[in-house]
Amino acid sequence: MFAMSSFQRWAFGLTVPAALLTICLYVVPILQVLALSFTEPTFGIGNYVEMFGSAAIGRVVRTTIIVAAVTTALTIVMSYAVAFALVHMRPGVRRVALFMVMVPFWVSVLVRAFAWITILRRNGVLNSALVGSGAIAEPLELVYNQFGVIVGMVHYMMPFAILLLYANLSEIDPRIIQAARSLGARPVTIFTRVWLPLSVPGLAIASLFIVIFSLGFLVTPAILGAGRVLMVAEYISVQISSTLRWGVATALSTTLLLVVGVLVAVAARSPALRAAFEGGRR
Amino acid sequence: MSPRLRRVGERWLPWTAAWLLLAFLFVPVLVVVPVALTAKDYLSLPTTGISFQHFASLADWRAGWLPSILTSLGIALASSIVATGVSAAFAIGAWVYAGRWPSILRIILLSPLIVPPIIYAVGMVRLWSKLSLLDSWLGVTIVHVILAMPLAVLAIGASLSNLDPRLVQAARSLGARPPTVFGKVILPNILPGTIAGAILAFIVSWDEITVTLFITSRRLVTLPRKIWTSIADAVDPALAAIATVMLVVTIICLLLRMTVWERLAQRRS
Repeated sequence: MFAMSSFQRWAFGLTVPAALLTICLYVVPILQVLALSFTEPTFGIGNYVEMFGSAAIGRVVRTTIIVAAVTTALTIVMSYAVAFALVHMRPGVRRVALFMVMVPFWVSVLVRAFAWITILRRNGVLNSALVGSGAIAEPLELVYNQFGVIVGMVHYMMPFAILLLYANLSEIDPRIIQAARSLGARPVTIFTRVWLPLSVPGLAIASLFIVIFSLGFLVTPAILGAGRVLMVAEYISVQISSTLRWGVATALSTTLLLVVGVLVAVAARSPALRAAFEGGRR
Repeated sequence: MSPRLRRVGERWLPWTAAWLLLAFLFVPVLVVVPVALTAKDYLSLPTTGISFQHFASLADWRAGWLPSILTSLGIALASSIVATGVSAAFAIGAWVYAGRWPSILRIILLSPLIVPPIIYAVGMVRLWSKLSLLDSWLGVTIVHVILAMPLAVLAIGASLSNLDPRLVQAARSLGARPPTVFGKVILPNILPGTIAGAILAFIVSWDEITVTLFITSRRLVTLPRKIWTSIADAVDPALAAIATVMLVVTIICLLLRMTVWERLAQRRS
């Protein structure tokens, strides 16, 4: 460090405040969570033994995996349909469509969860309309169950996925499509043999993000599930704010972090994601 | 398959599906507007008449909405300023500094984008209760700075990657001292990215709920926290009124960005 030029020393100095802030107030608190899972209330792996043995936690984990898997599958298929249409729109129409994606993207997650409650509740907008029109006799149970949680989560995740997939699809060289067409390929063939294989990197990154967001999501499942669809994040929150079982809460947090870490490590083998994380340097 | 059926399958089906999905994204958000205009004092569509009483209750100080809006504005401003300053310094330093240190630090800095916030919340509740910073301005602002830094770093970094390194070499060869190079050569050239970073940092703080929920209780009520408790407690149409206000502000900002921003970009190029 002493061999550095004065210019390099200044550059190093500029990175110090950010380093101190993140290490002291982000990395250390999270490492403490990991440590607590082995020391609270007694030293050892008792929390993990309890976690893997508990039927309640087993149910929570199963719910989390089901909801995350269904949310990711639905989000990816539906977002791909929108992104694909976006690429093929005329610029003027595309602006309107992108606006319809950007509004939910930027509106607060709480506003969106609240809107879904207003629509889906027993005497909400949808049930009133359906009963009023005579389509159904009894209101449907649309919220405070897995259905409501998944609707809200898909609605939350779709704008992210659409923007990621749209960025990926608009990078595909249109000359490849023209070549396929001029060689006599039918639209369906062009889609399955050209578009789809070229979208694999985008689909992979979008799925990774949606799975990770879904696994640790608190707000929408908590509001639209109202305690009846207990997922990992909400379970952790109950442990630290009501029942004060810090050992179980930190052990679950550690496991969640580990799962996210493994998913990212697997994905980091893909060049596209590595570029996204290491970009910005000369 | 008949040619007509094929035409439907290949042309009309994808477009119809795409527009239906766009409607699924956009229309449900709008439902808060009619509900906010109801004349009744519970959540309902305005079937018996339109009233602005629920918007008026937002302005009533005792209802708690106005104080929480001001609290959120204050915290978002403070954390945006700090996060932008620290992130700009980091991004510039990392851009210039030769070595592995910045790329390692960058991964740590960006990790809040991936690590579920609930895990950070667990850690911060412990740390802040030890330092008696629970339910305090300082405690919330620091957490928001940490959570806002990733997007600020990304925005400023994007601006820097378009900057020509020869500019810095030229300034140095002309004898500019390091503070001059950083402050008067690099910084003015990445101002658009820095402003974008500041806006993103503001929005992150303004919207933050997951961690704030655990490190605040009664004294410090940010707007997201107030909305959260109102959703859990009751079904007050004032909630629809604040949601409408937030929706309208979002739409105005987006329209401004789509029109003004693009016009500026056109003029520059």
